[in-house]
Amino acid sequence: MNKDAQMRAAINQKLIETGERERLKELLRAKLIECGWKDQLKAHCKEVIKEKGLEHVTVDDLVAEITPKGRETGFTMLPRLVLNSWGQAVLLPQSSRLLRL
Amino acid sequence: MKMEEMSLSGLDNSKLEAIAQEIYADLVEDSCLGFCFEVHRAVKCGYFFLDDTDPDSMKDFEIVDQPGLDIFGQVFNQWKSKECVCPNCSRSIAASRFAPHLEKCLGMGRNSSRIANRRIANSNNMNKSESDQEDNDDINDNDWSYGSEKKGLWYLPFQNPNSPRRSKSLKHKNGKWGWSNGNYNNSTGISYETLGPEELRSLLTTVRGDLSSYPSLPCLPTRSLRCPQHTDEQRRTVRIYFLGPSAVLPEVESSLDNDSFDMTDSQALISRLQWDGSSDLSPSDSGSSKTSENQGWGLGTNSSESRKTKKKKSHLSLVGTASSLGSNKKKKPKPPAPPTPSIYDDIN
Repeated sequence: MNKDAQMRAAINQKLIETGERERLKELLRAKLIECGWKDQLKAHCKEVIKEKGLEHVTVDDLVAEITPKGRETGFTMLPRLVLNSWGQAVLLPQSSRLLRL
Repeated sequence: MKMEEMSLSGLDNSKLEAIAQEIYADLVEDSCLGFCFEVHRAVKCGYFFLDDTDPDSMKDFEIVDQPGLDIFGQVFNQWKSKECVCPNCSRSIAASRFAPHLEKCLGMGRNSSRIANRRIANSNNMNKSESDQEDNDDINDNDWSYGSEKKGLWYLPFQNPNSPRRSKSLKHKNGKWGWSNGNYNNSTGISYETLGPEELRSLLTTVRGDLSSYPSLPCLPTRSLRCPQHTDEQRRTVRIYFLGPSAVLPEVESSLDNDSFDMTDSQALISRLQWDGSSDLSPSDSGSSKTSENQGWGLGTNSSESRKTKKKKSHLSLVGTASSLGSNKKKKPKPPAPPTPSIYDDIN
């Protein structure tokens, strides 16, 4: 387990260093907007805000309400695509070369 | 580095996928957080609900899909048959004619002021003999039209009755109507026949109307009220002919023309008789006879000496000639050419 954790940490670090993480993040955002994930989440937000009242909404409330739902839908909507690109990004020899850097 | 290389090669795909999944989860969570921050900012700044519309206004602007209407629900030729009620005269006018009607009805706008000016000028012309000397600015006015509105008796086929030219004593280019294309023969032109009696009187009393070299057209000089090609003698006879012997003659305007009214009675009678003789002819013949007279009178100047001699010539030509229009036109006006500049100087 330690190795895996180490492994994960190392990969993360590499990703950040090379800027690959940012690139992946932007890519993910674009894909989510395309598939309508953001609009879904916005509708959910509106409901939450109407419940809570416009004036009294806090960031924590929003975060607590929305991130679980966002995570779910994100996974259901774009699992394969991202994983594929993930897989390619991570598993391809090129990226492994990047990781070795 | 070595350790990583070894660990990478040692990993199988499933583990890599697991790692990838985790990284992906992290990224999704980051996106969610980012989205939350955006929403919260929008809520607090007040622009979160801006893109929403209430259902009432949504219904108002729904797309219309009916035959005969456009998508906004408007009819195509809605304004053709609509009638508006004029607030001034309370008549219902067609929509496309409403603006011109209002212009005339309220008395505002170019044309209605011209009509009013013309009426004032006409009524002034009845009372006074003369109106003011004017600039030649409106000679180049482009408001002339070859067809005019129907005015019944006062129909002038070539001249726009609303133009400012009408309001001021009907000046025109010296002697001629100024059309170089020669279309005057095609029933475009003020002729004494088409003028009504009132307009005729006004014309003749103010403008020294006289017969120009063109058939049956009055001579309306531009710069001054007196055309240098015609004498006062001629003018008086023309007036008497058209208005009758009891016609009111205009007053003398300049000292030059004082002599003009000292003509002998015999000459007046002779000229009148000869005019009367020709009045029985048909309009075409009378036109030709008038032109022949004009040619004879085209000699006339304001100098007293030449007047008498040329009048004798003109009387002779009155009786004799019936044709010979074009050839004599240019020859006869030549002798009086030298004195004319002096006349212009005196008048102006």
